[in-house]
Amino acid sequence: MRTVGRLLEGVWPIYRRETRAALRERTIVVNSIVIPIVLYPFLFWAMFTGMAFVMGQTEGFVSRVAVIGAGPQHRPFLTMLERSEKVELQKHPSEAATALAALRSGELDAVVEILPAAEGGAVPGEFALRVTVDEAKERSRTARERLDRVTERYRGEWLAREARARGVGAAEWQGFSIRSRNVSSAREMGQFLLGLLLPMLFVIMVAVGCFYPAVDATAGERERNTWETTMTLAVPRLAVVTAKYLSVATFGGLAGILNVGVMTASMGMIFAPLVAEAGEGVEFRIPLAAVPVLLLGALLLALFVAAGMMIFAAFARTFKEGQSMVTPFYLLVLLPVMFLQVPGLEFSLPLAFVPVVNVTMMVREAISNTFHWPQIGITVAVSVGVVAACLWVATRILAFEDVVVGSFGGSLGTFVKTRLLAGRGRGGAGEGSR
Amino acid sequence: MSQPVVVQGLTKIFFDDARGEVRAVDGVDFFCRAGEIFGLLGANGAGKTTTLRMIATVLAPTAGTALVMGHDVQREAEAARRALGFYSATTALYPRLTARETLEFFARINGVAAARVPARAEELVARFGLGDYADTRVDKLSTGMKQKVSIARTVAHDPPVLVFDEPTVGLDVLNALEMQRVIAEFRREGKAIIFSTHIMSEAERLCDRIAIIHRGRIHACDTLENLRAATGKHYLEDIFIHYVELANGDGGGTP
Repeated sequence: MRTVGRLLEGVWPIYRRETRAALRERTIVVNSIVIPIVLYPFLFWAMFTGMAFVMGQTEGFVSRVAVIGAGPQHRPFLTMLERSEKVELQKHPSEAATALAALRSGELDAVVEILPAAEGGAVPGEFALRVTVDEAKERSRTARERLDRVTERYRGEWLAREARARGVGAAEWQGFSIRSRNVSSAREMGQFLLGLLLPMLFVIMVAVGCFYPAVDATAGERERNTWETTMTLAVPRLAVVTAKYLSVATFGGLAGILNVGVMTASMGMIFAPLVAEAGEGVEFRIPLAAVPVLLLGALLLALFVAAGMMIFAAFARTFKEGQSMVTPFYLLVLLPVMFLQVPGLEFSLPLAFVPVVNVTMMVREAISNTFHWPQIGITVAVSVGVVAACLWVATRILAFEDVVVGSFGGSLGTFVKTRLLAGRGRGGAGEGSR
Repeated sequence: MSQPVVVQGLTKIFFDDARGEVRAVDGVDFFCRAGEIFGLLGANGAGKTTTLRMIATVLAPTAGTALVMGHDVQREAEAARRALGFYSATTALYPRLTARETLEFFARINGVAAARVPARAEELVARFGLGDYADTRVDKLSTGMKQKVSIARTVAHDPPVLVFDEPTVGLDVLNALEMQRVIAEFRREGKAIIFSTHIMSEAERLCDRIAIIHRGRIHACDTLENLRAATGKHYLEDIFIHYVELANGDGGGTP
């Protein structure tokens, strides 16, 4: 009990010193605080504003369309096209081949051919419309969308006219109609969109938030020659390691939470141009019940990432060396984020056993106001287990004195190969973590 | 009563990939009294720093013991650390803290009661003339001021034992003299001081007793007067060479 008391007594002042010093380092402040607040909201704002601008540009131009084979009976179709504001009917060449050549060269955006129906058709006068576009050109794709609307309308009118000619009313031949509607409220739509985007940024931000503090607290100390100073403090070595670890985790968790908060607040503005375009109401708000789960997710992820990064950085003697040693772990943490983009990915029980992915899925569901408690329970247990394993590895590493004092010249890989697998002694030293 | 620092059979063996086992320190014995400056004199690589690092609990001894105020550096590392202040060229200051924050941190972490920490920091600021720079970040201070802050943080918790590992390395003449003056002042306050150096004049001027260390072993340990009497040589440099040659098997007969 007294030992634990001494440990905690030592942890707090060192934690405070570490955190205060880190907050005075520009790189850490920029990466762990400024970037989560500013960078992603800005990037998304720039991206969506750019998209809205491009969409506006696309909407602005007129599609050049040629119609081949339109006899007098199809005059209404040509009239529809002429009346369409965004379609410009080109003087159509009589040869389809010439029109298609003009399409390929970019002089036309689409070619419509009116062809006789195959095998004469079911009713007299039946025909087929073939729309040819160049999918590799944005203008051409837009022309097809515009033509789709016109041809659909022409088809409807043609069918109605033919039905009337045969004494059939519209209600009789239109056996059924299809309409769709969305039961999701504006808030639910917002939560769905947030759930798609935020968990991915959350993992990235926690990793970025931990990166520099982890390197600074280990390799940075060695580079500044303050490692030995820290080793002579009258506290257990475990207190030093714990304080540093908690400080790094604080920055990671803070970065994740800050990013989620700022992104949620700014999503309305970012998405506004697109939402307005779609004519749908979307409200970006995280449900209150998700907040504890988000905090839990930030804590679990930050504790894991901080532990992993510090293990890798423990072998570095300079800041630069630390950065290159931590980078593989950083990329490893980001790898599962790619799987989040798989459509229809559900927070299943097996997925709850996969570190990082489980926390990310838990956060995603919480944002969408869904809580699968068995999966959340497993996620917490797995995360705690992984963190405990990392801390155990850290204590094993710190038992080697040359690693503690920084005279070991190698990375984690070299350490595992020469010390753990080869079973060589502790570098001529006793226990390091006293 | 036991001496503040007692070292017996202290040994440190390192493993080197190229050289195999290296005995950096090999069965060293000495003690240091209160109010005494005990000098460890040796060339680079003689084992001075390794010995002091073991006393300061930075390194663990392979064999032997070192007691600081009766606390074994291995079994009671924390208590031993609390009883000593360790200063060396490799124990730099935290650059992003101010001088005052540094002193408060070291006082608190090394056992000064929380309520007394601000007053203790103020005492140190006044004693070492840090007033104008107390709230300046350490990395913005001049070398001389950094040195003062460094000494102040070493004694922040007023330890009875002080360990100085080549404290004047890299300092100009004036700062080196200032360092020697401060160390002499600590002796007058009754602290037990272990001081390592390879500069003969420093050892001559400061040390009450001198141990000559070479290749990890102490070859002589006495007052300067007794060392002169034992070797028949007046200058410490000659005395040092005498013992080194003896250790190397060269007879120590250089006039």
